[in-house]
Amino acid sequence: MRRDRGRKPKKKICSYCVDKIESVDYKQYEKLKRFVTERGKVLPRRISGNCARHQRQLTRAIKKARIMALLPFTSE
Amino acid sequence: MGYYEIMLIISPEVETDGHQEVLNDLKTAITKEGGVVSTVLDWRKRRLAYEISKHKEGYYYLVYFSGHGTVIPEVEHYFRVTDAVIRYMIVSVEEKEFNAAAEKAAEAAAAAAAQAEKQEQAELEKADEATVIEESEEPEEVEEPEEPEEVEEPEEPKEPEEVEEPVAAEEPAETVEVDAAQEAEKKDE
Repeated sequence: MRRDRGRKPKKKICSYCVDKIESVDYKQYEKLKRFVTERGKVLPRRISGNCARHQRQLTRAIKKARIMALLPFTSE
Repeated sequence: MGYYEIMLIISPEVETDGHQEVLNDLKTAITKEGGVVSTVLDWRKRRLAYEISKHKEGYYYLVYFSGHGTVIPEVEHYFRVTDAVIRYMIVSVEEKEFNAAAEKAAEAAAAAAAQAEKQEQAELEKADEATVIEESEEPEEVEEPEEPEEVEEPEEPKEPEEVEEPVAAEEPAETVEVDAAQEAEKKDE
């Protein structure tokens, strides 16, 4: 379906907005894992589909989680 | 006055008995500057995502306290002096989150108490406890996780409630009688 050459914009769904979560919590690192790549990089918004507000909170939450060794800075 | 959350990782080399010592020292550091410790959450032993000074695991603790900003240098000083804490982070939190953590701790304590009682007493007693806890939880804690469920499946949440309520209403009366009888028996023994 998505192979159309027309480059259809992917539907953006911010999972934090859907769940009505006000602020992203760095303590829920299991959930944050969904938003990092295998190497531990933060997924860009165009892939994760988060809204700007939550993406901002998310990056900060991921960085906090990294400091507390809940998430890796890098993994090979 | 602010609300703060401390996440700390205690070295795996420290014996479990030593944890309380660390937490007590932390508490004195906080209260020294007029801070008040509200809740301590035990996150137990976890694998670290990367090695911290050759350690691969650590005991996580969450400490919530309220107080003046002057408490923080005091706490940081303690963490730097002690070898037991391998990593810490102090974050200011909203009052809402602060209270939610306190509730969570109370809930965990209630659950632990219920489990301890379960071991001591008969199973019927436990059922009675559970219903009491459920009732106290419902107004605040349960609301948040349930919301997404309602969005996805509006039909389901209604049904279990209808089924549960009559059971909850009937059971306590029965169990209380049985409990009284059992306690009497125990005393006789």
